[in-house]
Amino acid sequence: MRIFRFLFVLFLMCNSNFAIADDNKMQNKIAKNLRCLICQGQSVYDSDSEFAISVKLVIQNKLSEGLTEEQIYELLIKKYGDWISYNPKFRGNTYFLWLLPLLIFLFGGAIIFRKVIRIEK
Amino acid sequence: MIYSEIGYYSLVIGLTISLPIFFFSIKNFRDNKILDYKIINFSFIQLLLVLTSFLGLVLSFIYSDFSNETVFNNSHTTKPLFYKISGTWGNHEGSLLLWLLVLNLFIFFFLITSKNLWKNYRILTVLFHQLIIIGFFIFLLDSSNPFNYIFPVPKEGLGLNPILQDPALAIHPPVLYLGYVGSSIIFSSVLAATSLNYVSKIWALHIKKWVLISWVFLTLGILLGSIWAYYELGWGGFWFWDPVENISLMPWLALTTLFHCILVLEKRSTLTSWVIILSITTFTLSMCGTFLVRSGILNSVHTFANDPERGLFILTFLFILIFISLFVFFVFHKTDKKSLISFSLVSKETSILINNWFMMYFLSVVLIGTIYPIFLDVISSEKISVGPPFYHKLMIPFLVPFLIFMAIGPQLRWIKSRLRGKIYLITLFIISISASFFVVKNLSYNFLINTVLIGSALYLFFVTIRDFFSKEFKNISQNLSHFGFSLLILSILFNNLFSNEIITNLKVGERFNNEKFQIVFKNLEKSEEKNYVTFKGYFTILESGKEDNLVPELRVYNQPNIVTSEADIKTSLLNDKFITMNTVQNEEYFNIRYQVKPLMIWIWISVLLISFGGILSLFNRNRV
Repeated sequence: MRIFRFLFVLFLMCNSNFAIADDNKMQNKIAKNLRCLICQGQSVYDSDSEFAISVKLVIQNKLSEGLTEEQIYELLIKKYGDWISYNPKFRGNTYFLWLLPLLIFLFGGAIIFRKVIRIEK
Repeated sequence: MIYSEIGYYSLVIGLTISLPIFFFSIKNFRDNKILDYKIINFSFIQLLLVLTSFLGLVLSFIYSDFSNETVFNNSHTTKPLFYKISGTWGNHEGSLLLWLLVLNLFIFFFLITSKNLWKNYRILTVLFHQLIIIGFFIFLLDSSNPFNYIFPVPKEGLGLNPILQDPALAIHPPVLYLGYVGSSIIFSSVLAATSLNYVSKIWALHIKKWVLISWVFLTLGILLGSIWAYYELGWGGFWFWDPVENISLMPWLALTTLFHCILVLEKRSTLTSWVIILSITTFTLSMCGTFLVRSGILNSVHTFANDPERGLFILTFLFILIFISLFVFFVFHKTDKKSLISFSLVSKETSILINNWFMMYFLSVVLIGTIYPIFLDVISSEKISVGPPFYHKLMIPFLVPFLIFMAIGPQLRWIKSRLRGKIYLITLFIISISASFFVVKNLSYNFLINTVLIGSALYLFFVTIRDFFSKEFKNISQNLSHFGFSLLILSILFNNLFSNEIITNLKVGERFNNEKFQIVFKNLEKSEEKNYVTFKGYFTILESGKEDNLVPELRVYNQPNIVTSEADIKTSLLNDKFITMNTVQNEEYFNIRYQVKPLMIWIWISVLLISFGGILSLFNRNRV
């Protein structure tokens, strides 16, 4: 149990050290969810290309103008298309994308449930 | 020159060796009781020829023989010897040759380690495996010959992509390939066993080793790639849900499921069809991975070398293999109706089924997330991106029950078990949730989901720790892997929640201040290395009275001319301090990115623990 206690203290230390909220966090979060359009599979956050730098600036400005996270995504998608957002919207062409895994989950569950019930009998 | 020559001709002769292997196999299949030694001999000869061919390519790289097109495209005289050698598999042709070598190596090992098994099963496995080997031979000789000539002979090569010149990445492909190719043995073996109706306890015990071997290699291969991405790509992330990463994750998920499933087959002789389907799926996913990476369909950081024609070949080859396996499955597989299987709702069997259920779900999320955008693009030419938010949203909620089942499952017995007398399961659950509440309470966002997630991961953590002692190390391999997994999830969560970072522009002599850190850019030094010029930035970080000195680098490689940014990382058990610098348009300033990432090293350690569990299980004959 001593080990647990040690780990807890460790966790709490992490906690108090990092609990101070950073203003940049939101900006980074948004940048992580956007694709750098001129890079090979990097997010805006990860890239230092001119494009990424300018998008980061846009995010910063819009945040200080008081726009919400969602509004900034909307704005950028309107300008650059769906390709820029790593978070595909739930609509027309992506219903399958979002629902198919869940359907597979339900389907698998049904098979297992049936098997177990049948064996139980 | 001479090495390429030797390499090429041993490859051609190697292909012709398949003929006698086929001939003796078919002959031996019908008459004798014991396996004809000629099959093993010829397999050995084929292995030696492919090895010679591979060494021929390695030597061409070592001696920088630029009359060889592959060497010319991927090497340079000023490159260090280590990277000349690793350059052999750092490209398309060489990596396929390595793949072929491992294919031959594994089937040879399969032959010499399966002496106690039924002769016909061994022969048929060799035959199915030969189909794959021949496919790769033809692919190499036809469209990806590593020994093409260039005339006139160029004086200098084009060089290897500098971000690949790295120790972790030098060994990442071979390790990963051992995992991928291991699944090919599982594939041929399962086809042979299905055709002969040999899918049984004995077979399960035997193939389990191969599943474990490929699983361990695949795990370590993914780990190496991840570590490389962490320090080399310079953003401090280790997993980006990039398509190429996903592609290595999918066979891993399938293999993990298969392994759990084979345990049921071994102990209880049931779930045969499911084992067969999973074995085929695993190999298909490995091959699909090769296809998607090599065809250049994917938009990814990893698209180093690609060519649509090659993609088409792999696709055709893949379809043939899938067709054969479906044919074998539907024609030869007889579901065993005689053996009455019975197990209760609360039993190890049910919990393994639940494991399979969740694993298949995770697999389907990764699979659909990876290929859906490709299909959408082809069908409607609409381009969408599927990235981290998608995977997180669909996976994280399911992770909670998954972790809880993972803790409870191993507590149950085969056939029938009781939860009575297991009060500790509930006590530990309450402890975990309260502990997690305590840790998370200061967070302002996503409070509920984080409490539940950390709680369930802690639950697995505590239950597995208790098992170490209460089960007296009886089930040490399983216990270790599950414990490693809880540690992995916990480290990732804490890393995510409590990371801190600063992005700023500084020039030499300037300093950055905020309430917690002070970053001082002390000095910039230029020096020349063998094949690059380096600019080292000397930084001092002051944090709560402690001082750290970090030295990130900017490297300008000569051949090809590419600038890379090398992070400097100070690792401790508690956290990693990670700093990178990059150039900005305005030349005096540098873009500095400083991150404090808690428990980073535990992510690597936990994956090592997970694979170590697998290794232990390999050497543990009686127990699983």
